[in-house]
Amino acid sequence: MRLDALSRLVRLSLARERKGAFFSAFGVAMGVGALVFFLGLGLGVGRVIREKIFPTDARLVDVVPSAVSLGSLLGGGKLDAATVERLAALPGVEAAWRKMNVRVPAVSRYDGAFFGTRLRMGMEVLAVGVEPGLVKDDVKLGEFRDMGEGQPIPALVSTRLLELYNKTFAPARKLPQLSANMIVGFVMPVEFNRSYVAASSGGPTRSAQAQVVGASDRAMLAGLTIPLETAVRINREAGVDADTFTGVTLVAKDPSQVPALIDAVKGMGLEIDDQERRMAENTGAAVALVTSALALLSILICILAAVNIAHALSASVRARAKEIGVMQAVGASRADVRGIVLAEAAVVGLAGGAAGTAAALLLAFGVNRLASTYLPSFPFKPDSFFSFPWPVVLGGVVLGLFAALAGAYFPARRAAATDPARTLAG
Amino acid sequence: MIRARDIVKEYVDGDGTKVRVLDGMSLDVQDGDFVAVVGPSGSGKSTLLHLLGGLDVHYQGEVEVGGVKLRGLDDKALARFRNTHVGFVFQSFHLIPNLSALENVLLPSHFGPAREDARKRAEAMLERVGLGAKKDRAPVRLSGGERQRVAIARALFGGPRLLLCDEPTGNLDAATGDGVIQLFKELHREGLTVLAVTHEERMSAAARRVLRLKEGRLVEERADLHLATRGAP
Repeated sequence: MRLDALSRLVRLSLARERKGAFFSAFGVAMGVGALVFFLGLGLGVGRVIREKIFPTDARLVDVVPSAVSLGSLLGGGKLDAATVERLAALPGVEAAWRKMNVRVPAVSRYDGAFFGTRLRMGMEVLAVGVEPGLVKDDVKLGEFRDMGEGQPIPALVSTRLLELYNKTFAPARKLPQLSANMIVGFVMPVEFNRSYVAASSGGPTRSAQAQVVGASDRAMLAGLTIPLETAVRINREAGVDADTFTGVTLVAKDPSQVPALIDAVKGMGLEIDDQERRMAENTGAAVALVTSALALLSILICILAAVNIAHALSASVRARAKEIGVMQAVGASRADVRGIVLAEAAVVGLAGGAAGTAAALLLAFGVNRLASTYLPSFPFKPDSFFSFPWPVVLGGVVLGLFAALAGAYFPARRAAATDPARTLAG
Repeated sequence: MIRARDIVKEYVDGDGTKVRVLDGMSLDVQDGDFVAVVGPSGSGKSTLLHLLGGLDVHYQGEVEVGGVKLRGLDDKALARFRNTHVGFVFQSFHLIPNLSALENVLLPSHFGPAREDARKRAEAMLERVGLGAKKDRAPVRLSGGERQRVAIARALFGGPRLLLCDEPTGNLDAATGDGVIQLFKELHREGLTVLAVTHEERMSAAARRVLRLKEGRLVEERADLHLATRGAP
C-alpha cells in the first residue's frame, strides 16, 4: 500500500475517531511523560552526585598502604619509592602520582581583611603533598612546586570545601561568597608542628605562608593540597617519616583496565582507598533504585495505556468490520488492513509520546524555576535537578510508539483476519 | 469471462450442522453478458458471488475470472484481482459514512497502483452515474438510489470487466430501483459483464440470462438470445 494512501486513510479514520484517539494518546502521554520526568530527575540528581558531591574519575585508582597485613609486619606493604616504581610499571598504568601527608600538626591563625570583611580565625590545618601532574589543570597561579624555605607554599583547596563554605559557613557568619577564581592569590599563615588540640612532635614550630593557587576536585576535602616536595621537606625538617608515601594515585589508560589494576594492586599487599567511590556508588545506587521504582511505575502506566489502546482499537475494529470488508472488496489485502490499524496506533503513540516527553520537559523546567526561586541555598544545590540526554528524549517518543504498536498488535491481527464475505453479506 | 467448475461450498451453521450451499455447481459467463442468478433466500446466491469475486477462497473446485485462476492466488494477488478485475455492488451500499461521495469512489485508488488522474476519474465515474453535482456530499445526505449509484461508481473506478451485484435493488423503492436497473442496462450495453444475484423480478427481467440456484446447482431458466449482441438496445 502506498504511503500517501495509507496516510490519507489513517488521517480520515483518526479524524472520525478523534475522541478515542485523544484519550488513547493521553494515556500514552501520561506514561511516557512520567517516565521521561523521573528518568530525567534520576539522571540529574545522579549527575550532581557524580560531578559535584563525589567527583570521581573512572580512570583513577587511589592506592594506600595496607592498614594491617602480614606484609606490613614483615616490612612490606609500605609505599616507598621502590613500591611506587612497581606500581607505575603495572600493565595499564598511564601515570602514578605520589602523595604524602604532612605528618606534623599545623594550624592557621588569621587576623585581617578577607574579601571585603574582617576575619579573625584560628584552626587546625591538614595538608597533603601531591605531584604537580595530578592537579596541573587546576593551578591558576604560578607553578605548583616547592618554592623553598621562606617562600609562600602553593596550595590548592577543594572545590567541595568551597561549596560547603559558600552554602553553610559563609551565610551563617555573614562572610562573603567566594568563587574559585576569587580565592586565587589569597595568602594565609600556617604554622607547622603546632596544634591547638594535640601535642606537637617536639621539634621547632615553622611558620610559613600558604598561597591559594586554585581549586581542584582532586584536592583533599578538609585541608590544603600542597606540592609533594614541600610536604617531604616539612616532614624531613620535623624529623618524621619523609620516605614513604601516604598514597599513590594511579591513572589507568582506560577505565576498563581499572578492575585488573585493582586486583594487581591488592596482589602487592596494598589497599585501594575507594571510600569516596563507594559513597558515590552507594548514593548513586540509592538514586538509581528510586529512579527505577518510579520508572517501573511509569512503564506500568505505559502498559495500561497499551491495554487501553488495545481495547479502544478492538472496539473500533469491531465497529468498522463492514468498512474493512469494503476495503477488502475494493482491493485491500490483509497486510493493507493490518497496516492501516497499526499506522493509526503509531500516529496515536507518536503523538502521545511526543506530547508526554514535551510535558515532562516543561514540568522539569517549571520545577527547576520553582527550586531556584523557593528552595533555600544548600551545598551542591544544582542549577538543574534534571538531565535529559537525547536518548531519553528520543526514547520517550519511541516508547510511546512502541506501547501503541504493542496495544494495536492483536486488534490489527483481528482486523486483518476479517472475513469480507461474512461481513458484507446481507 | 467466468468459468467455474464443480464448485462445492459448505459451512457450519449455528447448530453445528454442516450445510452444503453449492454442490458441484458449474457456470460459464461470456464476456459482455448480463446474468441474473435467482433463488430463495439462503440458497447460496451471495456465496456464489463472493467466490467469483475472490472474497471467499474456502471452497472446492475451480474458478477462473477474466483468465485469472483464483485458486492458488495468495492474499496480495487476490486483493489485486479484486482491485482491477471486478467491481462489487452490495444491497446495503456499504459506503463509508465519513467520506464524501467522491472519496468513497476514490477508495479503490488507495489499494491500487498510483494514478495521477484518480480524482478526475472518480469525478467522471460520478458524472457517469448522474451524481457529478453531489460529489462532495456525505452518504447520509444522499437518497438510497443515489447511494447505490455512488457504490456503482466506486465499483467502476478500477475499470473492471465484471460487475458483481448482490441484490442491488433490494433496499430501493420501485422507482429508484428501476433507475438503478436502467443504469446496469446502460453499463451492459457499453460492454461490461454484469452478474447480479437477486430475487427481484424487475432485475432478472433486465438480464439476458437468468440462472436459478437449485439444490446447490445452477439451472438455466431463461436466455434472451435477441439481446446477445453486445450493444443491442
